[in-house]
Amino acid sequence: MNTYQQAGFDALGDVTRRAILERLRRGPLPVGKLAEGFAVSRPAISQHLRVLKDARLVKDTAEGTRRLYRIDPRGLEELRSYFDRFWGEALLSFKQRVEGKGR
Amino acid sequence: MIPETAGCEPVVQRSINVRASVDVAFRVFTEEMDSWWPRTHHIGGSPMSKQVVEGRVGGRLYSEHENGDEVEWGDVLAWEPPRRFVFAWMVTPDWTCERDLARCSEVEVIFTPVDNGTTLVELEHRFFSRHGEGGATMREKVSGGWGGLMEMFRSKAEVAA
Repeated sequence: MNTYQQAGFDALGDVTRRAILERLRRGPLPVGKLAEGFAVSRPAISQHLRVLKDARLVKDTAEGTRRLYRIDPRGLEELRSYFDRFWGEALLSFKQRVEGKGR
Repeated sequence: MIPETAGCEPVVQRSINVRASVDVAFRVFTEEMDSWWPRTHHIGGSPMSKQVVEGRVGGRLYSEHENGDEVEWGDVLAWEPPRRFVFAWMVTPDWTCERDLARCSEVEVIFTPVDNGTTLVELEHRFFSRHGEGGATMREKVSGGWGGLMEMFRSKAEVAA
């Protein structure tokens, strides 16, 4: 598991952050809109966004005077590739074994 | 959800090129599966101690476990050394043994010698609709993807909560 995958899993280990991601899947939002409907404070939402950003699960862009948050496909791709493991991992393990045998 | 029909059902394909002859590759993949099969990949109730492949049509793929259990997870459908190996994937979408072969997807592995002395190993996991309603779940579990991720993660998060 690489650093971004680890960060991605850690980031998803929180119900508020998962809810933020669910909401952003429907489209980009400014932090104010995003915070609406959550029981936690806006600074807390900003803190969660920071964690999601570090894991490359969300990214923000300046739109005039405000910042818009949206899903960052890079982090999702990292998590996807981690779960692409079942047969991929099995075949890699097989390759290491069968090639080691030849020597 | 994308509707599934028999003719154009999604499959999971993986391939890898190995520096070994086709004979060695086939033997290690099948009879010596215990030497490489990831210890995390099993459906037993306790840690896996051994992986066994019975090399004949009708032979079993099963794992032995630390608690003494023997858990069957495959049934050999085609045994054509050193080129082709097919087995029924006797695993339910809930990751337990599926005894009804009509409700099992299947895995085909083709071994093809390449000019430079290596072997191309192509794996295809198919017929997920045979698992019934859980077919798409099974496909996601073995292929990766967002659905499988969220499901595995949710179960982990729920245990932790």
